[in-house]
Amino acid sequence: MNGITGSTALWYASRATGVVSLLLLTAVVVLGVLVNRQGRVPGLPRFVVTGLHRSISLLAVAFLAVHVGTAIADPYVSIRLAAAVVPFVSAYEPFWLGLGAVSLDLIAALIVTSLVRAHISRRVWRGVHWLAYAAWPVALAHSIGSSTDMQRGLLLWVAVGCCIAVGAAVAWRVTQAARDVPRAERAAATFAQAAPRQRFRSQRSGRQHPAQQSSPLPPASPAGPSTDRLEEADLR
Amino acid sequence: MTYATATPNLGRTTVRPPIQPPPGGASGLPRLLPEHGAVPVDLPTHLGHHGRPPYRGQARLLIPLLEESGLTGRGGAAFPVSRKLTAVAAAGTRPIVIGNGAEGEPASDKDKSLLWISPHLVLDGLQLAAEAVGSSSVGLYVHRSPRLQDRLRAALAERAAAGIDQVPVELIDAPPRFLAGEESALASRASGGAALPRFKQPRVFERGVAGRPTLVQNVETLAHLALIARYGARWFRSLGTAEEPGSMLCTVHRADGTRNVVETALGTPLRNLLRLDDGAGGSGGAAPRASTAQAVLVGGYHGAWLPASLVAGMTLSNASLRPAGAFTGAGVLAALPADRCGIAETARVTRYLALESAGQCGPCFNGLPRIATVLDELAGSRPDRRALADVRRWAGLVEGRGACHHPDGTVRFVRSALQAFRAEIQLHEHGRCTAPGARPFLPLPAETATTDADWN
Repeated sequence: MNGITGSTALWYASRATGVVSLLLLTAVVVLGVLVNRQGRVPGLPRFVVTGLHRSISLLAVAFLAVHVGTAIADPYVSIRLAAAVVPFVSAYEPFWLGLGAVSLDLIAALIVTSLVRAHISRRVWRGVHWLAYAAWPVALAHSIGSSTDMQRGLLLWVAVGCCIAVGAAVAWRVTQAARDVPRAERAAATFAQAAPRQRFRSQRSGRQHPAQQSSPLPPASPAGPSTDRLEEADLR
Repeated sequence: MTYATATPNLGRTTVRPPIQPPPGGASGLPRLLPEHGAVPVDLPTHLGHHGRPPYRGQARLLIPLLEESGLTGRGGAAFPVSRKLTAVAAAGTRPIVIGNGAEGEPASDKDKSLLWISPHLVLDGLQLAAEAVGSSSVGLYVHRSPRLQDRLRAALAERAAAGIDQVPVELIDAPPRFLAGEESALASRASGGAALPRFKQPRVFERGVAGRPTLVQNVETLAHLALIARYGARWFRSLGTAEEPGSMLCTVHRADGTRNVVETALGTPLRNLLRLDDGAGGSGGAAPRASTAQAVLVGGYHGAWLPASLVAGMTLSNASLRPAGAFTGAGVLAALPADRCGIAETARVTRYLALESAGQCGPCFNGLPRIATVLDELAGSRPDRRALADVRRWAGLVEGRGACHHPDGTVRFVRSALQAFRAEIQLHEHGRCTAPGARPFLPLPAETATTDADWN
């Protein structure tokens, strides 16, 4: 193999950033799949998972920009700017580059809708965000199809690893969804989780107040004064 | 002036002469409730006092008068009524108007009482508001009480027979949930779904029930509106302060155990309203009686605890309460007697608030139960040393991270308790308590939601 020279630098940069982008996108997808209101990743608070998901996706966008920019700038094969965004119009490898363009467009839609999330309806944002499940496999196919190095050796194992990571995350999410707690029971479920940890003694089981035994007051009743007093008065 | 031509004649709305003098005696009160006790006002009596609703014959004509009156929403947020009406009227296409009488707050009785005692003022207000925004779809969202609803249905039939209402009113059933009266939850319920809050954007007055612009006003606000339409802005402003004019209904829980709905002018000293001087044992330094107030919960379960000594110098107005981190809210004032434990009360209510989470946003349904559990720990003897820091940390983690204001309101309530009952927490750390095993003071419903259907 030749070393990196002035004429091959862009080519190497494009390939390297492409691989890094794939790894970052895989991480984004895995974290996105794991962001679930109920399940939690052991040892990671939920806000860390969402925070990582957002930060890594912005990092992936930066690498993608370099990946696409260097591919266009590289004089070795001529790829026009249009071919990077419009699918299947490239003269070079139209199908595999076209998949890259599809993936790029989908990711652009995800990023734009997330940036304006406060101004659009939740349903629209969510609907567009489901496109992530299409963008990632398309990006993977683009990586394997347009890069001959990814079809064998170490990089093939990277591709396989990415597939396993996403597959495992999706499987975990699906099993979590099967154990979905009904909305009205969620807070109660958290109480149930909090109690057996025994981090804190509950008021009842803990040591009693010195005066509690001698308290002349009746035991606590769950309800306070009647809320319907006026209506009761009216009945008489 | 160039802008004057854009709004011809809107600034001078004629006020029809009242059939009888405006309500209220020498003190100007009460306005909304009848002068003699809690006897419900029937239609003939109502018409005898106030006459028929003074329709303006055209949309928007009422709005400048409301602006002049300075009326703000009495459901808790104190949003200027004229601005909401203007927004809905401007939104155009077939707006919807709904009177909000859900009153999910367990410590508040004022909306139920008003609907029970003066239903025709509220219904007049609904009709006038509907005319002002040009709406022909009107609803009244009320508590699931068959007796109250039957009564309102009878009142509506009576009005229809007398030809008073311009637009028919549909009664909408509010589930007994704390958040059922939240504006977006109301919009969802009125659209045929569950009473679940959603994100603030888009605002309900832009896209509410069935995607149409929706005016939601608390029933007390509508009753004030009905009176302002008759007696004018100057009359309305004759009570209250310049910034916060008029009167408001308060549910007052005094330290002696009494609980009343009181109509009072804004700016009234809270010392008088809560009778904070009673049972103070005089000035001779005698031991305070059990019915002395130690702290006051202002604004309900999303409100704030303030020490009684501080409240004694305040008035019923946001101008006075805001610097202390409290708000008039929907007018709940609860004076905690000296023989109760403020932390135990706060723990009970926080547990209830956590169970009333709609279960939609993780920070809310994961965070509030944890906060409630630690408060329960703090309410016990010799709590874990980390408990106080944990409450503060979790409070910070849930704040501002829900679709609705439920986590924020709950956090405000909890934080104010940690501040107001600091001495009590220190007592607990030494294994002592002001009122061990005292019976509960703040009212809570016996049941919370157990299935998703409980939100319908």
